[in-house]
Amino acid sequence: MDRSKQNKYSSNEKNDNGDGDSVLNGHFDGMVKRAAGGPQAPGAESAPHRSTSAVMESWKEERTRSLEDNEMSLPSLAAAYTTILRGLGENPQRQGLLKTPWRAATAMQFFTKGYQEKIIDVLNDAIFDEDHDEMVIVKDIDMFSMCEHHLVPIFGRVHIGYLPNKRVLGLSKLARIVEIYSRRLQVQERLTKQIAVAITEALQPTGVGVVIEATHMCMVMRGVQKMNSKTVTSTMLGNFREDPKTRDEFLRLIKS
Amino acid sequence: MSTKVGDIVEDFHSNNGDRITDKMSTVHRHHETSRKESEDESRLPALEAAYTDILRHLGEDTDREGLLRTPLRAAKAIQFLTKGYHETIDDILNNAIFDEDHDEMVIVKDIDMFSLCEHHMVPFFGKVHIGYIPNKKVVGLSKLARIVEIFSRRLQVQERLTKQIATGISEALQPKGVAVVIEAAHMCMVMRGVQKMNSRTVTSAMLGVYLEDPKTREEFLYLSRRT
Repeated sequence: MDRSKQNKYSSNEKNDNGDGDSVLNGHFDGMVKRAAGGPQAPGAESAPHRSTSAVMESWKEERTRSLEDNEMSLPSLAAAYTTILRGLGENPQRQGLLKTPWRAATAMQFFTKGYQEKIIDVLNDAIFDEDHDEMVIVKDIDMFSMCEHHLVPIFGRVHIGYLPNKRVLGLSKLARIVEIYSRRLQVQERLTKQIAVAITEALQPTGVGVVIEATHMCMVMRGVQKMNSKTVTSTMLGNFREDPKTRDEFLRLIKS
Repeated sequence: MSTKVGDIVEDFHSNNGDRITDKMSTVHRHHETSRKESEDESRLPALEAAYTDILRHLGEDTDREGLLRTPLRAAKAIQFLTKGYHETIDDILNNAIFDEDHDEMVIVKDIDMFSLCEHHMVPFFGKVHIGYIPNKKVVGLSKLARIVEIFSRRLQVQERLTKQIATGISEALQPKGVAVVIEAAHMCMVMRGVQKMNSRTVTSAMLGVYLEDPKTREEFLYLSRRT
């Protein structure tokens, strides 16, 4: 069973869907195709026809983990953590560590709960027709993720802006999209893109901009140990990419 | 290891009240290492296997490019984050204690500290402020930061960490007083559970004159406050 479709982002970019004209291969040339149903979703199976139902199809493929899976994996995760404690020279039987394997396992499952959720569940009801075509920005969304290379936390802020095209999204849904993608084993570049693409597919807006500024504990707590370093990534789609003035307005408005 | 130092602290306080005396110094410098640095390499495969298990049970695909060497990296990372188990105070302090006729407060503040919560194995980090009043013996300043490193790079509880730093310094120097204040953010509270973004936990340990004399304590707290 392919259990991480939505994270095979980079490999999907290389897939050739053979369709020709719409955005394939995951390469975003900045064109948000409305009539054609939007760019290739991350992790989607190749959908032969470019319509909204194809977009919905791709959302259906996202879930890889259920609550039952969580229950069933817990003992093995706890056992793995006990091994780790022993391997570090600690005594797993001392009072403070007695239930740590279980707590650490549930914590880790919580930090990767994005695998349990689908965009379609979160968004379905909150898309509204609204005759609004000015920029909408939700900024300073606190984000917590896990570095997929060291399994150490990443945290920071996400700023999202979009230009609606007759359809607006419930504001908290933008934050929920951030949650779904950030609560996974991630790479900041991929996270930024996944958020932008999800909003694009849901709304087909005129443009989307996502900026993430984060601190990587793998750089702060270990390795180079640079306390104050921050990593900033951004994804601009549609108008945000093509029109410098739009991008400028967005970047200015998210600056605090 | 933490239990041994816990015992030391127990003995310390039950035998001496809270006065710092000389006789405890040599007796209690047990070897606290529960892990030899040379053993780290040999323990890696077991840690790696455990991490591979964890990744699989989280529903990830361990063969995808980004995760291929993650078990090894994560194992090394967590060994680094718990390297305090290698080290003892004796090792780092032995050479840097100097006789100096100084009996005014010495403070080293804003020492960045990174530790791992022993309950969830999730980081907590913050700043440590240390003050002590020498009794004819001063310690190299960076050694205070190194003491913080030894005790913080372990699976810890913030209360215990604070006390271990304070007792460590007391034992090494027999000063007139030691004060340690730690202010930290716990990711186990921020990233999960109650999810309170801005909460901070502050703990302190006051020994010797810092405990007995409110004015000394006040001076320390004033001088180490955030500017």
